[in-house]
Amino acid sequence: MPSTDSPSAVETSQPEVAAPLAQTQPNGKGKQPEGAQQSSANTEKSKSNSNGKPAGNAQETSSTKKLTPAELKKKAKEEKAARRAQTVAAKEAESAPAAPELSPAGPSTVPQPAGGTSGSQQRGDGQKGSRTQQRTGGPVGNSRNLPFRGSQKVAAATAAPVVPKKEDKTVEFFRHLYRQRTTSIADASKEVHPAVLALGLQMGNYTICGSCARLVAMLQAFKSVIEAYTTPPGNSLTRHLTSHVLSPQIDYLASCRPISISMGNAIRWLKLEISKVDVDTPEAEAKKDLCGAIDVFLQERVTYADKLIAKKAAGKIKDGDVIMTYAKSSVVQRTLLRAFSKGKRFKVIVVDSRPLHEGKHLAAALVNLGMDVQYCLLNGLVHVIQNVTKVLLGAHAMMSNGRLFARVGTAIVAMEANEADKPVIVLCETIKFTERVALDSIVHNEIAPADELVTPGGPLTNWEDMKKLQICNMMYDVTPAEYLHMIVTESGNVPPTAVPVLHRMGNESG
Amino acid sequence: MTPTQKGYAPNLTVFKKSLKAASVETSIENLISLLKRRQIKNSRPCAMATAELLRIVVARDRWTDLGKLIAHIQDVGRRLVEAQPRELAVGNIVRRVLGMIRDEGNEDRKNEGSDSGSATGSPQLEFSIPAPTTTKRPPSSSLRFASTDGVHFTEDRPTTRPPLMTSHTSYAVANNVPVQQSMFNLLSATGSPNLTPSGANSPHGDSTPHPFALSEKMINSTKDLRAEVVNGIEEILDELEQVDDQIAAYALEHIHSNEVILTHSSSVTVYKFLLKAADKRKFTVIIAESYPNDHEETHLAVMGKMKDPESEEEDKETYLKSLQAAGITVILVTDASIFAIMSRVNKVILATHAVIANGGLVAAAGARIIARAAKAHRTPVIVLSGVYKLSPEHPFEFESLIEYGDPGSIVGYEDGTLVEKMEVDNPLYDYVPPDLVDLYITNLGSHAPSYLYRIVADHYKPEDVNFNNPELLF
Repeated sequence: MPSTDSPSAVETSQPEVAAPLAQTQPNGKGKQPEGAQQSSANTEKSKSNSNGKPAGNAQETSSTKKLTPAELKKKAKEEKAARRAQTVAAKEAESAPAAPELSPAGPSTVPQPAGGTSGSQQRGDGQKGSRTQQRTGGPVGNSRNLPFRGSQKVAAATAAPVVPKKEDKTVEFFRHLYRQRTTSIADASKEVHPAVLALGLQMGNYTICGSCARLVAMLQAFKSVIEAYTTPPGNSLTRHLTSHVLSPQIDYLASCRPISISMGNAIRWLKLEISKVDVDTPEAEAKKDLCGAIDVFLQERVTYADKLIAKKAAGKIKDGDVIMTYAKSSVVQRTLLRAFSKGKRFKVIVVDSRPLHEGKHLAAALVNLGMDVQYCLLNGLVHVIQNVTKVLLGAHAMMSNGRLFARVGTAIVAMEANEADKPVIVLCETIKFTERVALDSIVHNEIAPADELVTPGGPLTNWEDMKKLQICNMMYDVTPAEYLHMIVTESGNVPPTAVPVLHRMGNESG
Repeated sequence: MTPTQKGYAPNLTVFKKSLKAASVETSIENLISLLKRRQIKNSRPCAMATAELLRIVVARDRWTDLGKLIAHIQDVGRRLVEAQPRELAVGNIVRRVLGMIRDEGNEDRKNEGSDSGSATGSPQLEFSIPAPTTTKRPPSSSLRFASTDGVHFTEDRPTTRPPLMTSHTSYAVANNVPVQQSMFNLLSATGSPNLTPSGANSPHGDSTPHPFALSEKMINSTKDLRAEVVNGIEEILDELEQVDDQIAAYALEHIHSNEVILTHSSSVTVYKFLLKAADKRKFTVIIAESYPNDHEETHLAVMGKMKDPESEEEDKETYLKSLQAAGITVILVTDASIFAIMSRVNKVILATHAVIANGGLVAAAGARIIARAAKAHRTPVIVLSGVYKLSPEHPFEFESLIEYGDPGSIVGYEDGTLVEKMEVDNPLYDYVPPDLVDLYITNLGSHAPSYLYRIVADHYKPEDVNFNNPELLF
């Protein structure tokens, strides 16, 4: 619509240019019903800004042809800056009456000559007006013909429900982490193997949860993918398998839940294995070799590693110890079971948190064996920490700078334990080591759907309707290395500083 | 914890209403049971209820002198504190009232001593006058004098007056002792003027007109005092009502624009503070939900359904303006995310349940984690607290301040046999040591934690600090 308006604006008088431009501005934001009409792409919430921008710019150039390119550039720059400022700052309507006043400011400056910096200045004013308008909500921003404001308002109000604007519910400083999760197999590509399809769903709803469990399940599924694979004629397994078969599987898994670091390590290893297969090897043999290699890998890096870690860590548990652990880690559980089966009698305090309540499963498993278990949530942590003798933590990954990347809340437990002078021991297989580094928990993390935090029927039902409310459900946090006293791995007990060394030895030499 | 049934569950408003009709003793018992059943809980309602009750006690109770009143209030206070020792605000209010009564007494005595110089308020004077006649004095006179100066807070004063008076008058007649010096004599002496020796041979004959003036004055002063004390308590009640707004008035001094503020649970004080700041500034608030004890309220609050505590009508629920409506972006996070998100937080603002004289505080569980995480990230921690939450108590064992809640909200029966096999803890409060707090904002201004003891000293009299455990009194 505005594109039809603007040429006439150019011919008739300059001031009117400001008004249509002012109206295009809300379109750029994509929250206006008009925006949706203008281009269907604008309905896409987060990208709408960039989509709206070219349209606005194009129109601008068409309307102000007399400007020199330099001026145009400058103007575009100004606009961009203004728009950026607008999107960054979280704002609220405080000037509902001010908005209509600001918009007529454009027509009031009629005598202004066309073009020049003053024109751009004026345009800037118009923009501001539209911005405040927009903040007040849809209806006012819609009124393109000011004299009929009242009636327009009504019309817009009736029109508004038709195209409901969608607020961006993502938390600003985690915005780079949001991924749409696949929750059904409906839109999976046809290359995805059924075993992987099922696995993806299981990962998505946390049936298979935990770094190691996901790794094992993934490799098992890839084994069946490889077994079902036949090299198409004219291709070699080495060249074709990774790019054409494995990649869709991995993409699908990643769309269900982001790939864990251990999975990433395993995938890298598997790709290397595949690339190492000799082109001349018969397909059946190559497949058999690969499956065998996967089995060996799993045994070496997971099964025996777990056993070894459990054996070592269980040796550190003494009679009468009070062991604290957070959430659920398979290797911690194995360690506790092993120590218990060796006749050690100790108490376990399981600390847990919303929304996954993984610790409850661990506690249930331990209780059923007759162990002495105390269970509390993070609110009870500081009250029980005084009696603790050791803290055993599981890991999602160990960062190269010695920091622990684990289930969100782990850092709090480590911090409190450190404060109370309790040794913090991390149990971690070297497959979870990564060359990545992390300083905070924001750059690299996983954001789970916010709806997982909503208790059915609770007060948060329909929280999306609440303006300016965002719910952040992150999965991991980063524990500073100074809170960790020892890392028990299958290659030995090391301090956090030794992580990069072990990583080089374990994951990159292969 | 069961959700409060609307309308029927007794709460502060119901209690306030019942005060009008019920007798003093019934009201005391009522409040004690409400406290015990946690139907009135959290600092402010407890403080309000205590102040309201004490006002009734002062206004309706029969008391003739401040000593008796103080004893009575101490007794009521002791019972209330015993009913719910962890609601420190109850004790604080009792101490405030006691301190105020003492102040009134002092003032009163000073006034009387200056303007009349009569026997009522100044014991020295009284003792000096009968000094020449002590030889003639019967042994009971010491008792008589002790009982005379009621303004002296002799708390174990015998209340049985009539027998004393009769015995006294008889002595007086027998020994020709002038009877005017004692207030007890006033009543009996005026009742039977013929028994009093005519003033001619008495050394104090000229003081005979005094009894009438004195009795008059006493009645007046009691009335005045009663009104004064009730006024004082009403002032405390006013303070309790305004405290949140007073604290909020400091908001703009502490919040700059585009700030990221972390808080937890649902405190009206913090909300009003943030709302006030939102008038002028745009910022983001991250709210930790404080699961499992306060998450429902927190969720309601972020959904804009925070109940306004000042709304009088209980059937019509009025809500505070939501933070979002004030222009604040609200991010709800789990308690576990606190450490992760702390690197982006500029300031932590905590509400509190009680503040201890050492500068530490007792706050909703999870506060300690937040304060500690803030310390680890060098993020300043601000605590908002009304002065009424400031307690002079300083326990050696901070665990004694911690109340434990229903473990069923952590592991319920839907978890099957887990319930009976496992130890489950659900503390409602955390103790936050003073070194984790950077600033206190009270209705009097902003203070460093190390300065709090001065405010405590300003608000409570040393003799009232341990009113509830007499063995620690001296």
